[in-house]
Amino acid sequence: MSIALKEALVQRYFLSKVIQSIVLLFGVLLLVFVMVRITGDPAALMMPREASQEHVEAFREKMGFNDPVMVQFGRFISGAIVGDFGNSLHFKTPAMPLVLQRLPATVQLALAGLVMAVVVGVPLGLVGGFNPGSLVDSLGRFLALLGQSVPNFWLALILILYFAVRLRWFPSFGRDELKSVVLPAFVMGLPVMGQIVRLTRSAVLEIRGEDFIRTAHSKGLEPRTIYTKHVLRNVAIPLVSVIGVQFGYMLGGSIYIEIIFSWPGMGQLLEQAIGWRDFPLVQALAVFTSLVVLGLNLLTDMAYAVIDPRIRYG
Amino acid sequence: MKSRLFSILTAAVVLAILAVQCAPETIVETVEVIKEVEKEVEVVKEVEVEVEKEVIIEVEVTAVPPPEGPEGTLVRAVSTFPNSLDHPQAAERQASTTDFQLYDSLVWFGEGGTIVPQLAESWEVSDDATEYTFHLREGVVFHNGEPFNADAVVFNWERVVASDFEYAYHWKVATSVETVDEYTVKATLEKPDALFLSLVADNWAMIPPGYFEEVGQEGFNEHPMGTGPFVFVEWVKGDHITMEANPDYWRGAPKIQTVIFRPIPESATRVAAIQTGEVDIVTRLSSEEAQSLLGVENVKVIKYPKTRIYYVAFNNLTTGLDQPTMDPMVRQAMNYAVDVDTIIDALFDGFAEPAAGYVASGELGYGAVEPFGYDPDKALALLSEAGYPDGFAMDMACPAGAYTHFEEVCEAVVGYLGDVGIDATLEIMESGHYWDLEANKELPPLFGDSWSAAGGEAFRRLTGALGGMDASYSAWSDPEIDRMLDEIKATPDQDERAALYGELQVYMQEDPPFIYLYQPVAFEAINTRVQGYNPFPFEGYDLFETWVIEE
Repeated sequence: MSIALKEALVQRYFLSKVIQSIVLLFGVLLLVFVMVRITGDPAALMMPREASQEHVEAFREKMGFNDPVMVQFGRFISGAIVGDFGNSLHFKTPAMPLVLQRLPATVQLALAGLVMAVVVGVPLGLVGGFNPGSLVDSLGRFLALLGQSVPNFWLALILILYFAVRLRWFPSFGRDELKSVVLPAFVMGLPVMGQIVRLTRSAVLEIRGEDFIRTAHSKGLEPRTIYTKHVLRNVAIPLVSVIGVQFGYMLGGSIYIEIIFSWPGMGQLLEQAIGWRDFPLVQALAVFTSLVVLGLNLLTDMAYAVIDPRIRYG
Repeated sequence: MKSRLFSILTAAVVLAILAVQCAPETIVETVEVIKEVEKEVEVVKEVEVEVEKEVIIEVEVTAVPPPEGPEGTLVRAVSTFPNSLDHPQAAERQASTTDFQLYDSLVWFGEGGTIVPQLAESWEVSDDATEYTFHLREGVVFHNGEPFNADAVVFNWERVVASDFEYAYHWKVATSVETVDEYTVKATLEKPDALFLSLVADNWAMIPPGYFEEVGQEGFNEHPMGTGPFVFVEWVKGDHITMEANPDYWRGAPKIQTVIFRPIPESATRVAAIQTGEVDIVTRLSSEEAQSLLGVENVKVIKYPKTRIYYVAFNNLTTGLDQPTMDPMVRQAMNYAVDVDTIIDALFDGFAEPAAGYVASGELGYGAVEPFGYDPDKALALLSEAGYPDGFAMDMACPAGAYTHFEEVCEAVVGYLGDVGIDATLEIMESGHYWDLEANKELPPLFGDSWSAAGGEAFRRLTGALGGMDASYSAWSDPEIDRMLDEIKATPDQDERAALYGELQVYMQEDPPFIYLYQPVAFEAINTRVQGYNPFPFEGYDLFETWVIEE
């Protein structure tokens, strides 16, 4: 294959992924718009109960809830393209900056959780895969089982009761010091760690049995070279994909953990925004989170292409 | 072999976990804790009997005197975070009670729903009850040194009336506010409104005109300012709000130097944080959570009845028009059929009070009627007399997840109605959807809900739930009730008004628009180092009198 053709293929691959993401994002916008509107009348919720019918109607008119749905959708899309989701109904300030304000806390928590999951999970999985049945393997599999089966809200409360209330090692809530991140990050990272252990282990086991590994052995390569060059590179492919997906999930799906630990991130804001029927804020959060997930998926796809030539030229 | 090791390890750990849970020493500990809790519960119940008539259990008198000047830091947990610290924009109670530490109003609430002076030293009401003349306190300054005077009051009124805030209508009650002289201001109402002063107390937070004009609305939202006991320091959204003592406060400097508000949405975490001492005051606890804190070192549980009433409403406007409940005897029967005391004991550990009419304890005119009480025989007799000896069938709805144990309460009500032959079919709905239907008056002819009311009077609860087609959440209209409410509204004298509330209650007992259920109890927990903290029944509080003992 000529170099020019290779480049063309790579470009086509990336381009198709980018286009896919844009189409998906548009789908997300449509879905968010529709779903927020089928859950209830925001005017009824935003207005105090004593307010008269007349006041509620005036409020609805002011917020544009009386316009035809297509007009509302047009307004939503044209705003969304430039990141303008209007003012939050509850906070009265533009919605997008409120979301971005919460981003650092959520990213910190997700990153801390992910680092814990990877740092503990990958070595356990590798050792288990290379030495199935060993003590470390059993430990890894047990932790994996635990991580994937313990409900996180329960674990969070237990950790607070034990490590915050009884031992006083960590704060029970908030994001005041570096120590604050430990408990929520552990709760967040544990199920991901479980998944990583299992995935790494089974990938190693599977690849060790492949023909090309046997060939490598038979042509007299050092086991160390085989492990690093052939096995690890192949293990990395499913791992990268899982890490990418999980990181996106952690950025968007940490509502329970953020609430229980009173972590001032996006998940907590989303829960409040839904409770308040704060359309603009919910929309801004949902679209932003989707954007982050789509971006991560795109990066994951690109990472594949770097690791695995088969995907690049496939 | 390999998998056996794994199974053995798993089994071992599971056994270890079980063993830890069943370890003898742990059992001993648990038993001790339970004993302690029981003891404490008994003590609390005794206390409750003694002070039942009082709205708030007094914080115990200690030998430690309050400090001379502002000292120490108090951390208060809030369950939801304020949307704004600009008072007319505050969307709910937690926001408006937080921001009110920064502000004063012209008048304020005293004991039992009375009105006392604050920034206004005194006031006069015209004979037709449409003109209120306030004589303002002299020498009061805002946090930036701007003087407080009649012009400031006029400016505040003009600002909110011209705004599109949801709560602007609390200011629009006055059709004009004019300066008489530097320290006298006159508010004119279109028609008499006896509740005007309580509206002013609850809503008219005064902000400095010069500062507002300089920084604008957005600047003010970022850094609010008033005449109140505490001065705004910073607000890190979602994380904390910090305020400091106002040394030049007109009532004298407060006794706490720094107040920090922290949001903890999850009540189990609030329970943990009060135990670790990370926060000094936590609110909105369930009775189970409050009991789990009894006997915990350094933690004190306080409770008081909330000015909220739970009820099952009847409908005489839309869906209830052709139902047996149009007959007042049937509605009385249904009140006698429900055993509210047992519901309270079973679901709230006894921590709630049966609603005596639609006026809550602590509100003006409370105590004119007694709860119906549980009398199924009387219910059956009334039903027979009304022509329904074999009962009837009816639809009922309740909101899900909106109020503590309310789904179970509704189920219990259905059970009790079934005992007297009324076959109610209960539908429990997602609360957002439920309130949409309620606002459109499309709920079934029986529906459960609750109504709070601030301002020391039941008036807004009454007009809100019984205001006919004009009120968003009302499914009931009765010209006699309308007439009495109009009369209450036109009566500025508090004692006369209290008597009118009583009359209305008697009427609403004979011709009940609700099955009256209960008034809930609010639980808070404070660190024992907090002194002089007295929350109001409507979840308000004034930290001016509060101080902390420094270790």
